[in-house]
Amino acid sequence: MMRGSRPLRLVLATALLALVPAMAAGSAHALVPARTTYAQIEGSGSTWSQVIVNQWISDVDALGMRVTYSGGGSSQGRKDFANNVTDFGISEIPYAGVDELGNPDNSNGRDFAYLPIVAGGTAFTYQLKVGNEQVRNLRLSGETLAKIFTNEITDWSDPAITKDNNGRKFPALPITPVVRSDGSGTTAQFTTWMNAQYPSIWQPFYGKSSFTSYYPRKGRAIAAAGSDQVMNTISGFAGNGTIGYVEYSYPVNKHYPVVKVLNKGGYYVEPTQYNVAVALTKAKINNDPSSQLYLTQILDGVYNATDPRAYPLSSYSYMLIPTGADDQRMSTAKRQTLADFMFYSLCEGQSKAGPYGYSPLPLNLVKAGFSQLAKLKAADPAVDITNRDVTKCHNPTFVSGNLARNHLAEIAPQPEACDKQGEGPCGYDTGTAPTTATTTTASTKGDGKGDQTDATTTTNGGGTDPGATTDPGGGSDPATGEAPAAVDPETGEAVGSGSTQTAPDGASVQSGEAIYANPITLSSSRPGDGATFGWVAVLELLALVLLPGIFVATRRRRTSGSAR
Amino acid sequence: MSRDRLLPLLGALLAVVATLVVATSPADAGGIAADDTGAPAFTATKTVTRSFFDADGNELPVDSRDVTVTADKTTELRGRERVEVSWTGARPSAGRASNPFGEQGLNQEYPVVILQCRGLDDPSLAPAQQLSPSTCWTSTWSQRSQALPDISAAWTHDHYASAEDRAATSGMTPFPDPSVCTNPTGFVTHLTPFVTAAGKTYDACSATGMPPEAAVGAAYPPAEIAAFTDTDGNGQAMFEVRSAIENESLGCSDKVACSLVVIPIMGLSCDDDDAACQNTGQFLPGSSNFANDGVDLAVSPTLWWSASNWRNRISIPLSFALPPDACSVLDTRAPTGFYGSELISQAALQWAPAYCLRKDRFKFQANAMPDEASFSLMENGEAAAAFVSSEHDAVGDVPVAYAPVAVTGFAIGYVIDRPDNAGEFTTLRLNARLLAKLLTQSYLGSDLGRGHEGIGSNPLSINQDPEFQQLNPGLDAISREAAATVLSLSEQSDVIEQLTSYIASDKAAMDWIAGKADPWGMVVNPSYKKIDLPTGEWPLLDDYVPTTNDECLQQNPAPYFTQIAAPVNTLRKIAEAILDAWPNVQTRCDRATPGDPWKLGRVVRQGMGTRFMLGIVSLGDADRFGLHTAALETSPGRYVAPDAASLAKALSTATRAEDVDEVEGAPPVLDPELRPLTLDQQTLRKAGSAYPGTMVVYAAAPVSGVSKATADKVASFIRIATKEGQKVGRGTGELPAGYLPLSSGGVTGRLVTQAQAAADLIEAQEPIATPTATPTATPTKKTSPTKVVTSGQTNQTATAPAPVAAPTPEPTAPATKPARGKDEDVEAAPVPMPATQPVASPVADSLLPTLLLVGLGALLLSGLGRVRRIRGGGA
Repeated sequence: MMRGSRPLRLVLATALLALVPAMAAGSAHALVPARTTYAQIEGSGSTWSQVIVNQWISDVDALGMRVTYSGGGSSQGRKDFANNVTDFGISEIPYAGVDELGNPDNSNGRDFAYLPIVAGGTAFTYQLKVGNEQVRNLRLSGETLAKIFTNEITDWSDPAITKDNNGRKFPALPITPVVRSDGSGTTAQFTTWMNAQYPSIWQPFYGKSSFTSYYPRKGRAIAAAGSDQVMNTISGFAGNGTIGYVEYSYPVNKHYPVVKVLNKGGYYVEPTQYNVAVALTKAKINNDPSSQLYLTQILDGVYNATDPRAYPLSSYSYMLIPTGADDQRMSTAKRQTLADFMFYSLCEGQSKAGPYGYSPLPLNLVKAGFSQLAKLKAADPAVDITNRDVTKCHNPTFVSGNLARNHLAEIAPQPEACDKQGEGPCGYDTGTAPTTATTTTASTKGDGKGDQTDATTTTNGGGTDPGATTDPGGGSDPATGEAPAAVDPETGEAVGSGSTQTAPDGASVQSGEAIYANPITLSSSRPGDGATFGWVAVLELLALVLLPGIFVATRRRRTSGSAR
Repeated sequence: MSRDRLLPLLGALLAVVATLVVATSPADAGGIAADDTGAPAFTATKTVTRSFFDADGNELPVDSRDVTVTADKTTELRGRERVEVSWTGARPSAGRASNPFGEQGLNQEYPVVILQCRGLDDPSLAPAQQLSPSTCWTSTWSQRSQALPDISAAWTHDHYASAEDRAATSGMTPFPDPSVCTNPTGFVTHLTPFVTAAGKTYDACSATGMPPEAAVGAAYPPAEIAAFTDTDGNGQAMFEVRSAIENESLGCSDKVACSLVVIPIMGLSCDDDDAACQNTGQFLPGSSNFANDGVDLAVSPTLWWSASNWRNRISIPLSFALPPDACSVLDTRAPTGFYGSELISQAALQWAPAYCLRKDRFKFQANAMPDEASFSLMENGEAAAAFVSSEHDAVGDVPVAYAPVAVTGFAIGYVIDRPDNAGEFTTLRLNARLLAKLLTQSYLGSDLGRGHEGIGSNPLSINQDPEFQQLNPGLDAISREAAATVLSLSEQSDVIEQLTSYIASDKAAMDWIAGKADPWGMVVNPSYKKIDLPTGEWPLLDDYVPTTNDECLQQNPAPYFTQIAAPVNTLRKIAEAILDAWPNVQTRCDRATPGDPWKLGRVVRQGMGTRFMLGIVSLGDADRFGLHTAALETSPGRYVAPDAASLAKALSTATRAEDVDEVEGAPPVLDPELRPLTLDQQTLRKAGSAYPGTMVVYAAAPVSGVSKATADKVASFIRIATKEGQKVGRGTGELPAGYLPLSSGGVTGRLVTQAQAAADLIEAQEPIATPTATPTATPTKKTSPTKVVTSGQTNQTATAPAPVAAPTPEPTAPATKPARGKDEDVEAAPVPMPATQPVASPVADSLLPTLLLVGLGALLLSGLGRVRRIRGGGA
């Protein structure tokens, strides 16, 4: 495209390059802004958000800030913060007053504020093999999940699971739930959801009518400390038949499948940054700045969201920041570090939430977060929080002019029909792709899906036009220039241009049936079919190769005969 | 091979080894690009004494020693850097603690106390700039303040103490209010307050009277140490210094001078015959006190602040480096994200400010991510470039150019103590089979592992393995779970690929993995038998759950070997685990109170003197934290440690992909000169002195379809990184230790050439000729239309027109259409085609070419026949 100007550009580039060394010595330091004084801050807590927090920490390292974080679980994070061991804590849930073991769960008199830092989905990752092949497109309803984790459903061949997968029956194999052994915010989120949605299943199992941070491990279940160890347990060889709950980033980074969870809109969905963003538009945020629980979440609206895209186990993760003017651990330099670390994380740091398996905070929460950070300045006037503008954050949720809207939720692609209850199931992988617009929208856009080489989502089945899959990424919204437009059901149908949607419904059902909707126990090979089809293939091939030759030969013989 | 031919060969080899070991041995910190001058940065000798005085004031010398202290580095220090302090001539220590750091080290006798203190030992300076006990950092109050019944308060008999310091309450005037600091009747209390850099005084009377950095369970373990002197009077310690960034209260920086204060504890010099004061210790020299029994206060490190001990100090002045330039958090330019290999992290940290601080450059940002994930992120345009160390299969149709930006690698980092308190072990040697044994979980860890089928008689940990013992003589054989494993990565990484191809290139290792017992009878864990190597992601294959009577384990059944291996997701975590000697073994099974449920969790930090832990680290991290790295076997008996020479040697054996064999049908193929080098482990082994862990980090980016702005940034990054980014040093934009600098001459020359060529091509972004027209899809920010580039090979799976791009030909459709409450619409939505599994028939696969040939032959034959007939007819 820019071909004409290339020589010119080359000349320019060379000239610039020649200048660079000369400038480097002299001017580089002139541009150094006045150095802010930072001191190391320490934190501990959640492993749910640890993947992205660790990345932020290494990002701000380049900004001169030293932050240490150890993920010992949310309960530990709240405890450490209360005991003045840390400068900040990270937890999925607020202080409960008294924990389920009867120990105090409060800040021990330390002044603090909650600060939402990132959104994400609590994902269910699993290892389930049919023959030797890992299942990668399992779907489950909330009720089935609740029953699995309360040991009511104990086998993968259970009819409830078969039903969730539209008749696809899995082999008889005991289910091993993998739960957290440490006090965990992930556990708290999960059990809060079960307690709210399936009290008749959860409460008899737990024996109380509340959530818990310490999962009551029973029966076959395995308990592991920290999200990474849950991940190790599931992905290990012994993991066949296991299922556990972790933040979506863990399976994404490990290329491990996640369960598509049935939402109230009737679709089985994955916790992509879009589906989480859509669900969280239904979160009820405490908007009373005078409340101690300011900005904390009530998620019932999320659980019950009827949008077909909403992932029901979506939530925010929170930081506890010390706001007392006489806090015994804090100094000006530390408050400044905390303020700037969080400024970076809430602002620019949100832009990488998607690639790491999280979902960015919407602008209104970022802005509210800034107001919480301002309490650090209230505690210590020497802290500098000027010039921190929310709208310059490169936040992907940002809609110019309206902080409350969430661009991601608006452009979130609709689920595919095969993800609908009673349809499908869709054949492609879950949990494997970086969860960005270009890749996960409908997950079938072939060009960018790095991981699909092995998964082969190439859909040639059913004899339809090979192009006949939805690709919401194809026609992107030119205004955003970033994320492709959502599939809109109506428009997709309306356009129906020849090359694309020829027989969408039929194609889907056909291929679905051909591969999955076989209500018998699946095995990795098809002994009966193999031989038959093999011979048919051989015959066809023989015909393909030989027929033209024979045809030509006979014709030639004829023509030569007639010529003679 | 006949045995008689082998033996002389072996002899010759052994001779070579002997010389080599001397030459290559200390695989010590300071590694790749750092220069070692040899002479210590500091050395001083002082006569230290202890005397008793009789009632008439006559001095009776008890002990006198000439102690010489040296330190390897005292200037340009950075936070968490480790300074090696060693000494000779000190009084042998007794009652060694398992952990000499912080308050854990108090119950020892005659140790050498080393503290980091603010100020210098220079009487000519203003009092505020001089050091004193109240500027010396300790991580707990119990190291500063003592309250004892007056009969045991030995310090009140200290000959050199002032009258005030012998009073019932001393150390601070005015003494804190009893509500803050009680002094019960009959007790004597001495405080050593701490004064922060900002001038605030903490009374140190209790935990609440300590600065915030001294919180219990603080992020960093204590650095101050009561180190052990061996029976010859020698000792050595690695002291981790803290800058103002890590410890604001202590406040050492480029502007505030600090010292390391070395106090050889000789015991109190007593004014009278007080028994507590005249004690000379309960333990024998060289003995251990792992039970943490009480010791004689007069000769313990607890009284380091007493006048008798303080006067015996030797102070090492330290100066800290300017903090590195840092980017500003207020820079609102959007960052340009490079994703991928963690091997580049240490370099990227120093490079970043060289970009962000210049308006004519961009905001460079390195994000750590598994190589494969970062590669696909780059391919679909989410990352400007990917940092990878090997060729990855492009799935798009745009060729990817690889620009080398750093030569570095991985190492097996370790912390191992020699037995009998003889200090750290620094010459670890490993071979491929030992690594295979560790990775395949074939050591049992503990007796719990004995029940595992098929390997019940294997050693419990590597230090019990005769093969290891022969290579590394002189270590203990105490079994440890942590020594049964090497802490590794849980996710995909080119590092694991390289490590496992090193194993795969070793016949002994592969034979062993295939099931052949080693000469001592150790066999591979059946779960890993015949595992396919190399692999980019090490799987956890063992499912053995021990049967035990332990109530906790019964309630928490879990695969035992997986808990021991417990891989983590970043190399940085591994480096820090080794630095803190804190294995990631997850077998701790306990509960806080009898009412709580039993929980599994990570074991505690290892005790000093018995540490043994291995992990896979990047060379950058190893040099940054001063970790020891193992020498790896290249040819029988030859062990090579990572250093500049061995990295360069390895690089010289690297070949272009094409030279080795045909590259498999990745559609877009660039010139071999733009693709990664192949470091073949077989070739590398033949080179002898080449380090097998050598890796090149490439910035990989598409040569077409990227926006001009991004392409220009990537190209300029490559040019800057391979030029000014290769100047070795600690400054902004420079290359830290742990990397082999690239230069246009020598062995790295071709990498520089490749980088320049790749930069040009990435910058040019020539459109790729498309064989077929793109259907509907309008290229958005990245063109990757559905076209097929086949490089002459048919797609094996025959699922053909490759990626299914697709409809949504909806340029006008606003993306923001509300979708709620439209269930019926949704139902009517265009239904995407779910992907199907490729159905490939092996029969057809093998038949097709044959048949094609047959067909072709037939055609030719008939053609020939015809020609002949025509000719025949013509004649």
